[in-house]
Amino acid sequence: MMEIVRFVLTALFLLGALVVLAAGVLGQYRFRLALNRLHASSMCDSLGLLSLMIGLSISADDGWVVVKFALTMVFLWIASPTAGHLIARLETTTNPRLDRDMEVLEK
Amino acid sequence: MAQAYHTLYTVVLVALSVLTLLCLERAVRGPGIAERIIAINMICTLTLGMICILALMLSEGYLADIALLYAMIGFLAIVVLCKVYLGVAMEKQEKGDIPK
Repeated sequence: MMEIVRFVLTALFLLGALVVLAAGVLGQYRFRLALNRLHASSMCDSLGLLSLMIGLSISADDGWVVVKFALTMVFLWIASPTAGHLIARLETTTNPRLDRDMEVLEK
Repeated sequence: MAQAYHTLYTVVLVALSVLTLLCLERAVRGPGIAERIIAINMICTLTLGMICILALMLSEGYLADIALLYAMIGFLAIVVLCKVYLGVAMEKQEKGDIPK
């Protein structure tokens, strides 16, 4: 019985992660501006991978694997916003027509 | 039960690889450099998920270490790419090729 509950929970979390990741990829296709696409990809990084790791941690037999997954998530939560900030700064610097698409307060 | 887990992991892996291919297409076609770097970042994320699933599917614990290393290398690649293209853009602005 316990095994079945664990499997169902794992499947739910993994399929939820797939939905979030697919929404992120769909955002890459639907959005025109780079800053909007950055939003979709950051959502993938945080929520998508988090629910994937939770689902995998539920089904993992080895405790150390769960610790390593948690460590990966902590690193990713620090690294992903930093990368997003760098990409946004690159976009605001290199795009000369940025103020045509949105209101730019300070460049 | 092992068979059910194997099937679940296979389905998720196939879906993730399809998403990665779609992202690769976006990285090739994206109009600007920032769009391409965002697509590369997403490919990195999806590959990280695939490595984590493989760690459980093959029950090889060391693949979780590789996932951590892959996250670090992907972050490093994004930082280096952004710095390089920021330098190129600054140089062009100083020469007056594109307006500030």
